[in-house]
Amino acid sequence: MQQEEIEDQNEAKETQNSKVYELGYLLVSTIPEEDVPVIYGNLKELISSLGGNAISDEIPKMIPLAYAMVKVVNNVRNKFNTAHFGWIKFMMDSDKVLELKKKLDLDPNIIRFLILKTVAENTIAAKRFMRTDTRNRRPRILKNEDNENVAPINKEEIDKEIDALVVS
Amino acid sequence: MKQDYFSANNIKYIDYKDVEILKRFLNPNGKIISHKRTGVTSKNQRALASAIKHARFLGLLPFVVK
Repeated sequence: MQQEEIEDQNEAKETQNSKVYELGYLLVSTIPEEDVPVIYGNLKELISSLGGNAISDEIPKMIPLAYAMVKVVNNVRNKFNTAHFGWIKFMMDSDKVLELKKKLDLDPNIIRFLILKTVAENTIAAKRFMRTDTRNRRPRILKNEDNENVAPINKEEIDKEIDALVVS
Repeated sequence: MKQDYFSANNIKYIDYKDVEILKRFLNPNGKIISHKRTGVTSKNQRALASAIKHARFLGLLPFVVK
Protein backbone atom coordinates (compact mmCIF):
# COMPACT_ATOMS: atom_id res chain seq x y z
CA MET A 1 0.00 0.00 0.00
CA GLN A 2 2.70 2.43 1.05
CA GLN A 3 4.86 1.48 -1.87
CA GLU A 4 2.02 2.25 -4.28
CA GLU A 5 1.63 5.66 -2.73
CA ILE A 6 5.32 6.33 -3.11
CA GLU A 7 5.16 5.24 -6.75
CA ASP A 8 2.23 7.55 -7.35
CA GLN A 9 4.15 10.38 -5.78
CA ASN A 10 7.12 9.62 -7.99
CA GLU A 11 4.94 9.65 -11.07
CA ALA A 12 3.42 12.95 -10.05
CA LYS A 13 6.91 14.34 -9.52
CA GLU A 14 7.96 13.22 -12.99
CA THR A 15 5.02 14.90 -14.65
CA GLN A 16 5.68 18.04 -12.65
CA ASN A 17 9.31 18.15 -13.72
CA SER A 18 8.72 17.24 -17.34
CA LYS A 19 8.21 20.19 -19.62
CA VAL A 20 7.49 20.66 -23.28
CA TYR A 21 10.59 21.46 -25.31
CA GLU A 22 11.32 21.96 -28.96
CA LEU A 23 14.53 21.05 -30.69
CA GLY A 24 15.18 22.86 -33.98
CA TYR A 25 18.27 21.77 -35.87
CA LEU A 26 20.21 22.21 -39.09
CA LEU A 27 21.84 19.16 -40.61
CA VAL A 28 24.84 19.56 -42.91
CA SER A 29 23.88 19.72 -46.58
CA THR A 30 26.56 17.18 -47.56
CA ILE A 31 24.35 14.37 -46.25
CA PRO A 32 22.67 12.60 -49.18
CA GLU A 33 18.87 12.97 -49.34
CA GLU A 34 18.29 9.25 -48.61
CA ASP A 35 20.35 9.34 -45.38
CA VAL A 36 18.40 12.22 -43.85
CA PRO A 37 15.54 10.02 -42.52
CA VAL A 38 18.12 7.78 -40.83
CA ILE A 39 19.68 10.69 -38.93
CA TYR A 40 16.21 12.01 -38.11
CA GLY A 41 15.31 8.56 -36.71
CA ASN A 42 18.51 8.52 -34.64
CA LEU A 43 17.65 11.91 -33.15
CA LYS A 44 14.19 10.70 -32.18
CA GLU A 45 15.74 7.61 -30.64
CA LEU A 46 18.18 9.74 -28.66
CA ILE A 47 15.31 11.79 -27.26
CA SER A 48 13.28 8.73 -26.30
CA SER A 49 16.38 7.13 -24.73
CA LEU A 50 16.56 10.13 -22.39
CA GLY A 51 12.94 9.64 -21.38
CA GLY A 52 11.40 12.10 -23.81
CA ASN A 53 7.99 11.68 -25.43
CA ALA A 54 7.75 13.11 -28.94
CA ILE A 55 4.63 15.26 -29.43
CA SER A 56 5.07 16.43 -33.01
CA ASP A 57 7.87 16.79 -35.51
CA GLU A 58 8.83 17.55 -39.07
CA ILE A 59 11.19 15.61 -41.31
CA PRO A 60 14.28 17.69 -42.18
CA LYS A 61 13.99 19.42 -45.52
CA MET A 62 16.52 21.35 -47.54
CA ILE A 63 16.38 25.14 -47.08
CA PRO A 64 18.61 27.96 -48.29
CA LEU A 65 20.25 29.67 -45.31
CA ALA A 66 19.87 33.42 -44.86
CA TYR A 67 23.64 33.71 -44.38
CA ALA A 68 26.65 31.40 -44.68
CA MET A 69 27.41 29.29 -41.61
CA VAL A 70 30.72 27.73 -40.68
CA LYS A 71 31.25 24.43 -38.89
CA VAL A 72 34.65 23.05 -38.01
CA VAL A 73 34.89 19.27 -38.45
CA ASN A 74 38.29 17.59 -37.91
CA ASN A 75 40.04 20.96 -37.94
CA VAL A 76 38.55 21.81 -41.34
CA ARG A 77 36.31 24.84 -41.75
CA ASN A 78 33.22 23.96 -43.75
CA LYS A 79 31.02 26.72 -45.12
CA PHE A 80 27.32 26.04 -45.69
CA ASN A 81 24.77 28.03 -47.67
CA THR A 82 22.07 25.35 -47.53
CA ALA A 83 21.04 22.88 -44.82
CA HIS A 84 18.36 20.38 -43.86
CA PHE A 85 16.10 22.07 -41.31
CA GLY A 86 13.92 19.96 -39.02
CA TRP A 87 12.31 20.16 -35.61
CA ILE A 88 10.90 17.89 -32.90
CA LYS A 89 8.58 18.86 -30.10
CA PHE A 90 8.83 16.61 -27.07
CA MET A 91 8.16 16.30 -23.35
CA MET A 92 11.17 15.67 -21.19
CA ASP A 93 12.37 15.88 -17.64
CA SER A 94 14.07 19.22 -17.10
CA ASP A 95 17.19 17.53 -15.67
CA LYS A 96 17.70 15.45 -18.81
CA VAL A 97 17.70 18.35 -21.25
CA LEU A 98 21.24 19.38 -20.38
CA GLU A 99 22.34 15.83 -21.09
CA LEU A 100 20.60 15.99 -24.47
CA LYS A 101 22.37 19.27 -25.25
CA LYS A 102 25.78 17.79 -24.41
CA LYS A 103 25.14 14.85 -26.72
CA LEU A 104 23.95 17.06 -29.58
CA ASP A 105 27.02 19.29 -29.17
CA LEU A 106 29.19 16.34 -30.19
CA ASP A 107 27.10 15.37 -33.24
CA PRO A 108 29.11 16.02 -36.42
CA ASN A 109 25.97 16.06 -38.60
CA ILE A 110 24.40 19.08 -36.88
CA ILE A 111 25.52 22.57 -37.90
CA ARG A 112 23.43 24.29 -35.23
CA PHE A 113 20.56 23.45 -32.93
CA LEU A 114 18.23 25.30 -30.61
CA ILE A 115 16.34 23.91 -27.61
CA LEU A 116 13.40 26.03 -26.52
CA LYS A 117 10.63 25.73 -23.97
CA THR A 118 7.31 25.78 -25.79
CA VAL A 119 3.67 24.69 -25.57
CA ALA A 120 2.22 21.33 -26.61
CA GLU A 121 -0.37 22.88 -28.96
CA ASN A 122 0.34 23.50 -32.62
CA THR A 123 2.04 26.89 -32.76
CA ILE A 124 2.30 27.41 -36.52
CA ALA A 125 -0.44 29.79 -37.59
CA ALA A 126 -2.57 28.68 -40.51
CA LYS A 127 -2.06 30.18 -43.95
CA ARG A 128 -5.34 32.07 -43.80
CA PHE A 129 -3.66 34.77 -41.77
CA MET A 130 -1.41 35.59 -44.68
CA ARG A 131 -3.81 37.93 -46.40
CA THR A 132 -2.68 41.15 -48.00
CA ASP A 133 -3.56 44.46 -46.46
CA THR A 134 -7.00 45.36 -47.77
CA ARG A 135 -7.24 48.82 -46.23
CA ASN A 136 -5.25 50.58 -48.92
CA ARG A 137 -7.29 49.20 -51.79
CA ARG A 138 -9.61 51.60 -53.56
CA PRO A 139 -13.22 50.61 -54.03
CA ARG A 140 -13.73 49.98 -57.72
CA ILE A 141 -17.51 49.72 -57.71
CA LEU A 142 -18.00 53.44 -58.34
CA LYS A 143 -16.16 53.27 -61.65
CA ASN A 144 -18.46 50.54 -62.93
CA GLU A 145 -21.52 52.63 -62.05
CA ASP A 146 -20.19 55.50 -64.15
CA ASN A 147 -19.78 53.19 -67.11
CA GLU A 148 -23.37 52.01 -66.85
CA ASN A 149 -24.66 55.60 -67.12
CA VAL A 150 -22.97 56.15 -70.49
CA ALA A 151 -25.53 56.22 -73.30
CA PRO A 152 -25.43 53.41 -75.85
CA ILE A 153 -23.46 54.32 -79.00
CA ASN A 154 -25.53 55.06 -82.06
CA LYS A 155 -23.51 54.03 -85.13
CA GLU A 156 -25.42 56.12 -87.66
CA GLU A 157 -24.91 59.33 -85.71
CA ILE A 158 -21.20 58.69 -85.43
CA ASP A 159 -20.95 58.01 -89.17
CA LYS A 160 -22.71 61.30 -89.89
CA GLU A 161 -20.38 63.20 -87.58
CA ILE A 162 -17.32 61.64 -89.19
CA ASP A 163 -18.59 62.51 -92.65
CA ALA A 164 -19.17 66.08 -91.55
CA LEU A 165 -15.62 66.29 -90.27
CA VAL A 166 -14.16 64.78 -93.44
CA VAL A 167 -16.10 67.18 -95.69
CA SER A 168 -15.03 70.26 -93.71
CA MET B 1 -0.56 48.77 -38.26
CA LYS B 2 -2.51 50.33 -35.44
CA GLN B 3 -3.94 47.16 -33.93
CA ASP B 4 -2.01 44.27 -32.42
CA TYR B 5 -1.58 41.78 -35.29
CA PHE B 6 -1.28 38.77 -32.99
CA SER B 7 -4.40 39.45 -30.93
CA ALA B 8 -6.34 40.27 -34.11
CA ASN B 9 -5.41 36.91 -35.66
CA ASN B 10 -5.72 34.98 -32.39
CA ILE B 11 -2.05 33.93 -32.33
CA LYS B 12 -1.19 33.00 -28.74
CA TYR B 13 2.31 31.71 -29.24
CA ILE B 14 4.72 33.43 -31.62
CA ASP B 15 6.70 30.66 -33.30
CA TYR B 16 10.20 31.23 -34.67
CA LYS B 17 9.42 28.88 -37.59
CA ASP B 18 6.63 31.13 -38.90
CA VAL B 19 9.02 33.08 -41.10
CA GLU B 20 6.29 34.62 -43.28
CA ILE B 21 4.68 36.32 -40.26
CA LEU B 22 8.00 37.38 -38.74
CA LYS B 23 9.09 38.96 -42.05
CA ARG B 24 6.26 41.49 -41.76
CA PHE B 25 8.02 42.97 -38.73
CA LEU B 26 11.40 43.50 -40.40
CA ASN B 27 12.42 46.59 -42.31
CA PRO B 28 14.19 46.32 -45.72
CA ASN B 29 17.55 46.12 -43.94
CA GLY B 30 16.40 43.19 -41.84
CA LYS B 31 16.09 45.15 -38.61
CA ILE B 32 13.20 44.61 -36.21
CA ILE B 33 10.58 47.34 -36.60
CA SER B 34 10.03 49.28 -33.39
CA HIS B 35 7.09 48.71 -31.13
CA LYS B 36 5.94 52.26 -31.90
CA ARG B 37 5.44 51.44 -35.60
CA THR B 38 4.20 47.86 -35.33
CA GLY B 39 1.38 48.61 -32.89
CA VAL B 40 1.96 45.24 -31.22
CA THR B 41 1.43 45.07 -27.44
CA SER B 42 4.54 45.22 -25.28
CA LYS B 43 4.22 41.60 -24.24
CA ASN B 44 3.87 40.39 -27.83
CA GLN B 45 6.63 42.70 -29.06
CA ARG B 46 9.04 41.08 -26.60
CA ALA B 47 7.98 37.60 -27.72
CA LEU B 48 8.22 38.70 -31.37
CA ALA B 49 11.77 40.00 -30.88
CA SER B 50 12.84 36.70 -29.30
CA ALA B 51 11.19 34.70 -32.09
CA ILE B 52 12.99 36.77 -34.75
CA LYS B 53 16.31 36.31 -32.95
CA HIS B 54 15.79 32.55 -32.74
CA ALA B 55 14.93 32.43 -36.44
CA ARG B 56 18.07 34.43 -37.23
CA PHE B 57 20.23 32.02 -35.26
CA LEU B 58 18.94 29.09 -37.30
CA GLY B 59 19.44 30.91 -40.59
CA LEU B 60 15.73 31.27 -41.36
CA LEU B 61 15.97 35.08 -41.29
CA PRO B 62 18.95 37.33 -42.06
CA PHE B 63 20.78 39.45 -39.49
CA VAL B 64 21.35 42.16 -42.11
CA VAL B 65 20.22 42.70 -45.69
CA LYS B 66 22.77 44.69 -47.65
